[in-house]
Amino acid sequence: MSSQVTKPRGTSRLWRLTPAIALATVIALLTAGGLMARYVDRANAQQEVDEVSVQARVLASTVTAALAFNDRRVAQEYVNAIRANPEIEAAAIYDSGGTLFVSYKQRPDAILPPDVKPDEPRFIEDRLIVAVPVTEGGNALGTVYLRGFTEPFALRLQRYGVIGLLMTMASVVVAVLGVMQLTQRRANEELARRAEQLAAANQALEMQIEEREKVEEALRQSQKMEAIGQLTGGVAHDFNNLLQVILGNLERLGRRLPGGGATAGGELRLIEAASRAAGRAATLTQRLLAFSRRQPLAPKSLDLNRLVAGLLELLGRTLGEAIHVETVLAGGLWRVFADENQLENALLNLAVNARDAMLQGGRLTLETQNVRLDEAYARSQEDVRPGDYVLVSVSDSGVGMTKEVLARAFDPFFTTKDIGQGTGLGLSQVYGFVRQSGGHVRIDSAPGQGASVKLYLPRFFELEVVETVVADTRPVPHGSRHETILIVEDEDDVRSFTRDTLLELGYEVREAANGPAALRVLEDHPGLRLLFTDIGLPGGLNGRQLADEARRRWPDMRILLTTGYTRDAMVRQGRLEAGVELLVKPFTEADLARKIREVLDR
Amino acid sequence: MNRRAPTHLCYASAWWTIAWLLLFASMQAAWPQGAPLEYAVKATYLHKFAPFVEWPNAAAEFPGGDFAVCVVGNDPLGAVLDRAVSGQQVAGRTITVRRLASVTGNPGCAVMFVTGSDAQPATAVLAAVRGTAVLTVTDGATDSAAKGIINFVLQDDRVRFEIDNSAAAAAGLTISSKLLSLAVHVTGGNR
Repeated sequence: MSSQVTKPRGTSRLWRLTPAIALATVIALLTAGGLMARYVDRANAQQEVDEVSVQARVLASTVTAALAFNDRRVAQEYVNAIRANPEIEAAAIYDSGGTLFVSYKQRPDAILPPDVKPDEPRFIEDRLIVAVPVTEGGNALGTVYLRGFTEPFALRLQRYGVIGLLMTMASVVVAVLGVMQLTQRRANEELARRAEQLAAANQALEMQIEEREKVEEALRQSQKMEAIGQLTGGVAHDFNNLLQVILGNLERLGRRLPGGGATAGGELRLIEAASRAAGRAATLTQRLLAFSRRQPLAPKSLDLNRLVAGLLELLGRTLGEAIHVETVLAGGLWRVFADENQLENALLNLAVNARDAMLQGGRLTLETQNVRLDEAYARSQEDVRPGDYVLVSVSDSGVGMTKEVLARAFDPFFTTKDIGQGTGLGLSQVYGFVRQSGGHVRIDSAPGQGASVKLYLPRFFELEVVETVVADTRPVPHGSRHETILIVEDEDDVRSFTRDTLLELGYEVREAANGPAALRVLEDHPGLRLLFTDIGLPGGLNGRQLADEARRRWPDMRILLTTGYTRDAMVRQGRLEAGVELLVKPFTEADLARKIREVLDR
Repeated sequence: MNRRAPTHLCYASAWWTIAWLLLFASMQAAWPQGAPLEYAVKATYLHKFAPFVEWPNAAAEFPGGDFAVCVVGNDPLGAVLDRAVSGQQVAGRTITVRRLASVTGNPGCAVMFVTGSDAQPATAVLAAVRGTAVLTVTDGATDSAAKGIINFVLQDDRVRFEIDNSAAAAAGLTISSKLLSLAVHVTGGNR
């Protein structure tokens, strides 16, 4: 609802000039008035002269015979005819000798000159005097004398005063118009300025409202994610313990079958199938934990270019020939601090999603880039800190997503795939992992335009460490009887599985169900080499506190923690503290054997 | 004949001068009656008619280039006429006075003051010049046959005149309406 104030340029220029035009008009009017008065005055005088002269000449030409033949009666009649003109004060005819012949006077007291000869018309004291010769056939017979009233100066002044008044009034009107126009222009400018201010204020308000709506939406989203996270985290924790028992027992059951796998093929296949199912269940649980940001992470300094390059072969195999994989890897890429396995998992998940969006084949692009997220961007997003990030994006040329799908893409169990085809946890895991790693994730997509998932991981300031990837193909290491291990676990089934596994591996084992009991065992057996404890423990002392206490009292003691999920109480920022080893549930016998051996041998 | 006028003047100049001045002075005051004054006025009028009259083909009609005022018959004007025309001009022409006893046609006169004589009465003179371009002037004629184009009459002791416009037309003369308007009577209309 933004408004704009527009001004027509052409007229505004004219508008601005109007006062000057008004002033010029006033001056021009007054000058014209003065000139006009003067012209009219002269024209009037000339007209009077002309009129009286004509009348004198008419009289002169009619009176010739009467003057020549001395006929006063007829001459008097002619002269008296002048009476019809009230402008003539007196008229007279003089003979050729200059002697008065006949005369007419409008008023009896008018005085006539005794002797008149023809002369030029002249004005004397508001009177116009005309004396024209009387001639007939070239013979001068006498003179006609006419004296006319002229308009008195006062009257003329009055008339010109009226003209002047009119001109002045016109000038005043024009001047007032000019001033009014000036005032109006100022008012208009003020109005326009206020309108602009109002528009700006309105825009600012709209922006604030929009921002607030965004923040509220982000808050709602984060609250929703938090709630779902709590829920799934709790469920996943319980599931992990159950799966640990199922997996462990299935493993041992398989080993105890008479004659090994060769003779009892049928039973072994059943057990393996059950194990696979349990394994998949464990994977799902991991993803749930990942989404709820409660999975234990083992972050380290990573070069994303190397990580992406390492994924390419796997991706090629997974995605099939119809998908063309491209990489756009930035040079001088910053390092990040993240869990390598989880990041690989996340990228694989995204690649699989991309493949599912490109059933007819297409192009998958993996791209890395250094980016800087500024304040403005950070404000517009949910829980993003401005700063340097490394961007790794997975883009496809597939069907894309609608706005509605986009809005729910990160929700756990939300899937657009057919039932049984997808878990609805892939993007949830990505979301949880990236957020837990201090990063930011977003999806850009539109129907038919493909989709691009962008993971922003915080830049990590640390010197590059040369990494070597060692395939874990070592044989399962065993222990000896003089290596005693304390197992602290409140879940009986898990504890017994762990105990049995370690006993089979050749270790000496002690058990405790909670923290205080474990401390008592440690006090009774100072030769204990390793404390293997669950983190979630009842009895007022959790695994972390127990470990701290043990290290304080027996500094040589090796400690291995295990958990289905992590809490802030023991994993700060999702990362393990130095010197603490972690084994994530559910674990296999081999996992356990290697980890125990690793910790003991360090 | 021209030579006789100055001679006449020489003899009677003193008497004429005194008489003229006296009469003129009295005329100025009240225009008193008197034969010499009357004739002086008439003498003056003879050439004063000229500007109000149009002669056909004027140059041809005035032999010698002069504007001739003729007196035919007994001359009651005498030197008064000579004095009256002295120094006067009509249309740039000098006025000359000719006195004739009788005429058989128009001897080149523009204006003819017809008084008549026993030998040739006024009617005979008028008849003799009828049809020629001459402005005939008679003095106080009562018989229409004895009246010229212009006939002096006395009215209220003033010298006025009658005009016979038909006779003027017959003579080929055009008389100004200004003059007609002053006439006490106009024959032949056009007043």
